Amino acid sequence: MALLEVKGLTTEVSGFRILDNLDFSVDENELRVLLGPNGAGKTTLISLITGQFKPTAGTIHFNGQDITGWAPDQIFKAGISRKFQVPNMYETLSVYDNVMISLQGPRKVFQYMFSGVTAAENERIWEILEFVELASKVNEPADTLSHGERQWLELGMLVASNPKLLLLDEPTTGMTDTGKRRTADLIQRIAKNHTVLLIEHDMHLVRQLAKKVTVMHQGQLLAEGPLADVVANELVKAVYLGKGGRR
Amino acid sequence: MAVTSSARSGPRQVRRSRLVPLWAMVLGALVLALIGTSPEYAGTDSYIVGLIGKFLCFAIFALAIDLIWGFTGILSLGQAVYFGIGAYFVALSMKLNYTLVNATRYGSNIPDFMEWNGLTEVPAFMTPLLSTPVAVACALLIPTLLAFIFGVITFKRHIYGVYCAVITLAESLILQDFIIEYQAYTGGFNGITDYGNLRGAPFLWVIVAVTVVCFVGARMLTHSRIGTVLKSIRDNDVRAEFMGYNVANYRIFVFCISAFMSALAGAMYAAWVGIVSFLDTGPMLSVEAVIWTAVGGRATIIGPFIGAFLIRGLEFMLSGSWFAEYWQIFMGALFIAVVLWIPDGIVGTIGAWVRKRQAGTRAQIREDADRLAHDRQRDWEPAGAAKPGEERV
Repeated sequence: MALLEVKGLTTEVSGFRILDNLDFSVDENELRVLLGPNGAGKTTLISLITGQFKPTAGTIHFNGQDITGWAPDQIFKAGISRKFQVPNMYETLSVYDNVMISLQGPRKVFQYMFSGVTAAENERIWEILEFVELASKVNEPADTLSHGERQWLELGMLVASNPKLLLLDEPTTGMTDTGKRRTADLIQRIAKNHTVLLIEHDMHLVRQLAKKVTVMHQGQLLAEGPLADVVANELVKAVYLGKGGRR
Repeated sequence: MAVTSSARSGPRQVRRSRLVPLWAMVLGALVLALIGTSPEYAGTDSYIVGLIGKFLCFAIFALAIDLIWGFTGILSLGQAVYFGIGAYFVALSMKLNYTLVNATRYGSNIPDFMEWNGLTEVPAFMTPLLSTPVAVACALLIPTLLAFIFGVITFKRHIYGVYCAVITLAESLILQDFIIEYQAYTGGFNGITDYGNLRGAPFLWVIVAVTVVCFVGARMLTHSRIGTVLKSIRDNDVRAEFMGYNVANYRIFVFCISAFMSALAGAMYAAWVGIVSFLDTGPMLSVEAVIWTAVGGRATIIGPFIGAFLIRGLEFMLSGSWFAEYWQIFMGALFIAVVLWIPDGIVGTIGAWVRKRQAGTRAQIREDADRLAHDRQRDWEPAGAAKPGEERV
């Protein structure tokens, strides 16, 4: 059974259909890449899955539960973590604290009263910081990091929360080639133990990472399958290269 | 997931400041020594000691505002509501007890404002206030409960920021109207006066002790994990929500703590100065306390203390001069200046400077800033373009 299953998902903003009766599923321990031109509804899909917006129609099942219409913090507890397109973290907190409060664990107010960081948690934080190569900057506030480092810190925060499913919305935006390669490497290592749904535009990266690819267009599923098949797909060519690509 | 750790560099520890830092102890001892050795202190009713007690109450109030504004990012312009309710309960209780012993001019044993408004005896719902513990419990718990209700109806609906500030302001104005309207029970425009006071040695030490408890408590709260979560909500509430934190619950929690501390400050204030009026629940007091916090340093524990003492002290020193007339204008100008030039306040600015100095010499600091700018530029360079410092032939 699929880990994430989206059925008939539809969302409208002032009469305009952003997602149109979308069926989509991700299996456990899969690294799936979501492709599609601008405005295809990729980010909207992620926002709907994580509860930022409510769908007009359709259901979202995750891990056997119906999570349609849940609040973001409940969906997180069900096991979905999300990375935003623009690095999104706690600017004035130190790198260490950023990871610390992302750790898997209790989230209720009174479970947190005056509790400190245990030795095991401390170890875990350092492991993650070494994983994303930020261990030398533990005490620095997040807003002094460079853009690439911020992207990695957010990846580290997601790993710290140890979700079943990671939704990564263009984690290489604004990165150099070297940065992109390093990020791809990180994602590959993360995907060994987690299910990852990745939105990515860089085809080099997609080739390096993806086994299975889903292409969206105008809120609908256009094609799905191994990368080679999808790239050869006439419809996909038409969408990406314009109608002229068909001839 | 299993991450194989590479070569470990150094001990896996981070810097954490101590719960009660050395400078805080030194500063506290200094203040105590000043009070203790002051020739004024010999008399229990000295003016200076009176001011110190008053300022400490204001400082606790400013600290309460700092907890929600500096640490959690909720700007409330109506925190004086909780300060005022705390003050009114204590004042009412003291007044009721005072009139039992000291009859009014017309010979009855009920508060004078009740007498003027045609009441002949204390209304039944007020009689429990004759007992001090009941009055103190009311003074502390009712504001906290109100804050909880307020928090549930605003934060649970995702109302915060400017809208929250406006609602708290309205709350303050409503309470003021209520107090003026029901003057038979609240003293109306005149407030509650002439009920004696606790100014003097024993109660001063109560205030000092409460101040220390509030200082350490706030420090514990903000240095604990929950404090880190609060700061993360201040920095980025969306991210916190997507990390599984119920942001509204944390906001409600800290708002209640702040209301409790405000009420505590208000209750001690009423007992200390011996007069409360509707102005003590109004937006002006809230705004002033926000300014003390901003001047002293937001998101620091000692900042509100320094801000409150500095500005209140200045106000007191200048109160006799021609300048007193322009005090409000000065306060406004000061707030603008602080926001523009030292947004971190006195303590925040000094702290940042000290940290930078500890990190290295001025040259090193500049070098770091340059490297950071360089990194940022490189990261935003389009792929394939020449990198700064990289020659392309």
